[in-house]
Amino acid sequence: MKILFSLFIFISVLFANDATIEVIKKANTLPSIAVEDASISYDDTFRLRFFKTLVADLNVISIFNVDRHHRIANFNDVDVLVENKDMAYVLRYKMFEDDNGALNVQVKLLEKNDEVFVKNYRVAKQDIFMFVSHAIAYDINEFMQQPSVAWMKRKVIFSRIVAPKQSEIVIADYTLAYQHTILKGGFNIFPKWANKTQTAFYYTTLDTPKPTLKYVNIRTGQVQSIISSDGMMVCSDVSSDGKTLLLTMALNGQPDIYSFNTLTRKYKRLTRYSGIDVNGQFMSKNQIVFISSRLGYPNVFTKHLDTNEVEQMVYYGRSNVSCSAHGNYIVYAARESSNAFSKNTFNLHLISTKTDFIRRLTATGVNQFPRFSKDGDAIIFIKNYKGQSAIGIIRLNYNKNYLFPLKYGSIQSMDW
Amino acid sequence: MKSIVLSSVVTALLVFSGCSSKEPAVDNKTEEVSAPAAQEVQAPATETVSSENSVVNSSTANSAEMTMAEIESKLPTVYFAFDKYNITPEMQERIDAAAELGKTDAAKSLSVKLEGNCDEWGSDEYNFALGLKRAEAVKKALVADGIDASRISMVSYGESNPVCTEHTKECWAKNRRVNFKLLP
Repeated sequence: MKILFSLFIFISVLFANDATIEVIKKANTLPSIAVEDASISYDDTFRLRFFKTLVADLNVISIFNVDRHHRIANFNDVDVLVENKDMAYVLRYKMFEDDNGALNVQVKLLEKNDEVFVKNYRVAKQDIFMFVSHAIAYDINEFMQQPSVAWMKRKVIFSRIVAPKQSEIVIADYTLAYQHTILKGGFNIFPKWANKTQTAFYYTTLDTPKPTLKYVNIRTGQVQSIISSDGMMVCSDVSSDGKTLLLTMALNGQPDIYSFNTLTRKYKRLTRYSGIDVNGQFMSKNQIVFISSRLGYPNVFTKHLDTNEVEQMVYYGRSNVSCSAHGNYIVYAARESSNAFSKNTFNLHLISTKTDFIRRLTATGVNQFPRFSKDGDAIIFIKNYKGQSAIGIIRLNYNKNYLFPLKYGSIQSMDW
Repeated sequence: MKSIVLSSVVTALLVFSGCSSKEPAVDNKTEEVSAPAAQEVQAPATETVSSENSVVNSSTANSAEMTMAEIESKLPTVYFAFDKYNITPEMQERIDAAAELGKTDAAKSLSVKLEGNCDEWGSDEYNFALGLKRAEAVKKALVADGIDASRISMVSYGESNPVCTEHTKECWAKNRRVNFKLLP
């Protein structure tokens, strides 16, 4: 019996930190939380909108069972509302407009009538209230000492196709509630953040005689041309220090992966297969993962840049068309059926280079363009279903997916 | 004339310092979250549309019997099978005819841009590369037919330039194509 128990403990420890192992639903064990609205400014519509955003954010952090009832309270009352007396936590907030027209939010977290966390927030404009909500959820998550959800506060950049050869580049929050069109008119695609602080981005313009990579400094509005290539130009990845880019270029009509030094502006060809090599992503400084048609169909490979050794990573699916890497983990999109024109499904799968497990992350629709968050906690992806595009978020450690639909146009590509 | 509006967003959030302890904690400082300031900037000079120039030039340069637009209207569209970039015998005939047209006096001073396109299955880099390989296959066939490679440029639009937007098999087949666009 002792041996069996030891073996069980051993196996538990062995797999404890493997994200390819699916977490079984544990919603029943989560502490409950209710949200009480004590706002004194703004109309009911806006109050309800903020409440719903906050409830949605608290759901996404996945550590509470969130009560969805919108209840009104007084901010300074010592006790929680009678209806919420059995809740493990109550989050009470007060929105008010100050003399400058700014939105202020006071927040307190109550645990059995005790204040355990208090904080105030302020934004200059009411219409960016969603960032306050994301910040509150982030802070509550930090207070509860859970793995960071810093990605919640990051911005998503995406290109939206609005008509044939017409697109817009949009900066949004992760729920798409806030959207700012930063580049309008023309045919501009494949936006990619240029640095960790998200103060600049790269994109490809197809309005020039040759596809050209551009760099935009968001703070100054300056635009620079970086490099052009006949046929195709995509910035697939930016190294963590921002100094090296992985580009897909086709200098002689042949799509291959190149590294590009942003300081010296020199490039180096990394792949030489005569078919298609695209979607280079850094796994480490000396290893990339990419998509290649070298087996006659698109699949996921890695390449060691110092030894030139190429290794097939996925042995499942006949069409694995895009991928993203974080440490030892690779997420990729696979076409599920070989029949291209019946019910076609693309699903996301997660593998680890250290184990043989494959975890399927999505079940229906066309799920593409997966990208890890910087800390590997979450995956963002594009879902197309019945002609509508949505941004999806997968919380790997909690086995939960969230979808945020786009109102018009279809998402061509994105980064966060 | 299209307009390109570029505006800039200021980072919307400051870094929040959350409390890392489960002990009761009070953090009363107020955070400032600044609004995104929109800024109009001049469109980059390199974004001048090439097709605009080409229209102007073609109308002045064409004293020959056919205008550029007339020649372009005679050029074929080359179609491809799903996930393929090889040229079928039927499509080879279309390319041969295009090459003959390209050698005529009216056309031999013109360049051609081959635009590779795909169906909607895949909004990713692979689809763009597939469109490009289709354009490259047509380029190789044209060169084999005696057209100078320096007259040919290529671009891929992936699935972003559909001629048909219905979700049907016939419609997708129409989108897997290479178009010929003439340049002066």
